[in-house]
Amino acid sequence: MSRTIFDVENLTYSYPGTGKVLNGISFTISEGESVVVLGANASGKSTLLKLLDGLCFAEIGRVEAFGETLLENSINKQFRKNVGLLFQNPDAQLFCTSVEEEVAFGPLQLGMSESEVERRVADTLSMLGIEHLRERPPQSLSGGEKKKVALASIISCGQKVILLDEPNAGLDPRTLQWLVEFLRMLNKSGVTLIAATHNLSFAADIADRALILSEDHRLVYDGTIDGALSDLELLLSVNLAHAHSHRHGGIVHEHPHLHEVAHDHEHVE
Amino acid sequence: MNAESLPEWYFADKEGGTEAESGRMLAAASYVRKTLAGIGRALANELCSPACTVSWLGSVEARAKILGLVLLVFGTTFVHGLVPLSALFASAVVMAWSIRLPMRRLARVWIGVPLFSLGIILPAVTNLVTPGRDVLTLWRFDHTIEIWSWSLPEAITVTREGLFVAGRFVLRTLDCVTLVYILAASTDASVLIDGLRRLGLPEIFGMVLAVAHRYIVLMLRAAEEIYLAKLSRTIAVGSLQKEQRWAAAGMGMLFRRTHYLAEEVTDAMVSRGYDGELRIRSKPPIKLKDAAFVLGAVLFMVALVALDRGIL
Repeated sequence: MSRTIFDVENLTYSYPGTGKVLNGISFTISEGESVVVLGANASGKSTLLKLLDGLCFAEIGRVEAFGETLLENSINKQFRKNVGLLFQNPDAQLFCTSVEEEVAFGPLQLGMSESEVERRVADTLSMLGIEHLRERPPQSLSGGEKKKVALASIISCGQKVILLDEPNAGLDPRTLQWLVEFLRMLNKSGVTLIAATHNLSFAADIADRALILSEDHRLVYDGTIDGALSDLELLLSVNLAHAHSHRHGGIVHEHPHLHEVAHDHEHVE
Repeated sequence: MNAESLPEWYFADKEGGTEAESGRMLAAASYVRKTLAGIGRALANELCSPACTVSWLGSVEARAKILGLVLLVFGTTFVHGLVPLSALFASAVVMAWSIRLPMRRLARVWIGVPLFSLGIILPAVTNLVTPGRDVLTLWRFDHTIEIWSWSLPEAITVTREGLFVAGRFVLRTLDCVTLVYILAASTDASVLIDGLRRLGLPEIFGMVLAVAHRYIVLMLRAAEEIYLAKLSRTIAVGSLQKEQRWAAAGMGMLFRRTHYLAEEVTDAMVSRGYDGELRIRSKPPIKLKDAAFVLGAVLFMVALVALDRGIL
């Protein structure tokens, strides 16, 4: 049986001056799983990932990682070596002056030797096919390139658990397809993936399991991704699907609608 | 939702000034926008334009280049004569030309900085600050003017010594600015900051410099976007007070964005193992070519000082 990576119990969190952004959430995640956290905007997905990455800490309840409760003074290098977070905004993640420095930053801070850092930088750039960007400053990269470099900056740390905050945001179709294949490959290799998104098609492509957050910041579903996508009532209630009318040729019709997911419908006009 | 959902005012005629008024106001707004955009573009160009690294100077290791050129900059304080200072300026121009530095970029620096320094040094050309042999009389007083215990001379004149002091100041400024510009233009910002770190700049300052360089352009773009977003909804420009209030609000909004981004960047650093102590890669050894560059700079400076003191 796979060991438990995260054990979250009754987690509640709020930012100063705001209401609860997570409200009494409980779940566990095991090694090697590929999980998506689904939810509408402002449902608390990004905050949940930050809590799992030890960047903020539970107010009520607890987050346990690798059998130890995450507390501000308990985060150590070993935890950072094990868990990485891809930020939604690559501009926040790419703060160094060149791609090479960016990819070397994590391994250096984690105390790896210079030769090991060199090896990891070369291997990671090669694996992601971005050797040609090595000397480039991050601000000169395109959106897709930035996302690849941000991913490279995590991969070079060799973390076994990768948290991804809206990894598909702002990507063109080709880069998106590349990302899906890359994440699948990572998961097959044993890396645990936890991605936050509200794109159901992307979620179906990369994950086996879904956690769904409602707009009142509660966990309303924990199960297979297929089960989540087939429960239209649930998706409508959490604002991940919507009913609207639209036009095919000259015919206007109305039906509940999942973006980018095939659906059955009847013409009403 | 259907077409009747729109309120009736949506297609009604808009109020807000005559066409001529609106045109004038928008023209003024356009002038402000162009000026702001121009400043932003110039800054972004200077910060982002690729360095002339494919040259003999570009191949010199950053530490050696910083040491050599900064040595020349400090050396200017030991040189007093106009001739050796002009020689140093001529050498700097030849160096800039040899690394194919666009002269137009350099000319911008030459126009702006010496003019500014001339403005500062201007009082020093008069006998009020630098007494000496009069060259030109600017103003002659009918009677003696006394301010407390200090009395003004009978005439305000430009003195030969004053002109010499001003000339020396402007030439030194030109030398220093040209040398520093050559250093910045022949070295990528990342390499330059790395070189400063390796020369002993405290790590935290190096990191702050690197992050500031990385994000200043992003913030410039954000500022321009805020202005353009406002402009796209502007039919008539408000009073100066309203515009000032809007500018202050814009600054506040940009500050909040900067603050949020700073928090995200810190989180991204912590997430990858940063614990307050920054680790960087060790220093590559200095090569013979780099040492020769530093030695050349030292010898050149010694020769200039010797020329200045009349030893050569």
